[in-house]
Amino acid sequence: MKIKLELFGASRDFSNKDYLEFEIEEQLEIKHFRKKIINYLNKNFKDNGAFIKIVKTSAFCSEDNQIINDNYKITKNQKIGIIPPIGGG
Amino acid sequence: MLHTKIIDIKKDKIKTSIAEAFIKSSSYGASIIFNGTVRNINENKEVIGMTYDSHDELVIKSFEEIYKETREKLKIIDKAVFIEHIKGYVGLGETSIIIAVACKHRDQAYVLSRYIIEEIKKRSPIWKKEHYKDEQSEWLKGIPIQNEKI
Repeated sequence: MKIKLELFGASRDFSNKDYLEFEIEEQLEIKHFRKKIINYLNKNFKDNGAFIKIVKTSAFCSEDNQIINDNYKITKNQKIGIIPPIGGG
Repeated sequence: MLHTKIIDIKKDKIKTSIAEAFIKSSSYGASIIFNGTVRNINENKEVIGMTYDSHDELVIKSFEEIYKETREKLKIIDKAVFIEHIKGYVGLGETSIIIAVACKHRDQAYVLSRYIIEEIKKRSPIWKKEHYKDEQSEWLKGIPIQNEKI
């Protein structure tokens, strides 16, 4: 199963692209997906404390633009957006 | 009566004149146009510009929800509201957001305008990256969005 993580705000620094892709073997909840993202950051960035903090404080949104909680289960190929702490206007 | 738009600065321009025309068409007696611009100093650093990022669909949804709740929370029923926010890079002094409101009475217009900008700052998924005179840049710290509710 493939999850495309769309990057916004400070999380855009996680990649040169607008997204990250994760290959997942089984259904997983957002709280476990969060750990997968942190694993990716640990593998790819040294001194990544600021990046990990972003992941820990971010919300996530589904393909149909709903904010989803940590218990939301990803069951199929889909796009998930990471929503770091906000501050526009 | 509501108008909302995310302006991608690479393709479009944000213009106060469009807000003025929208507000005039409503024929209410009291109107306010709030214009947010990039300021020159933040936390003792000299700012030369700002990059705005947004989750467009969620931002528009949040604008619509803020507009709807002003009826119950502020008891302002008759109103016209225009909200445009930019996305992309803008330089010092350039406009990032326009909020124009029109109501029957001036006290309502002031309350409504203030309420909308404060709620946008708390709830709309928009991010800012400041660019400094020394060529450094950084994403500004924000506030975590609440799960399951925007």
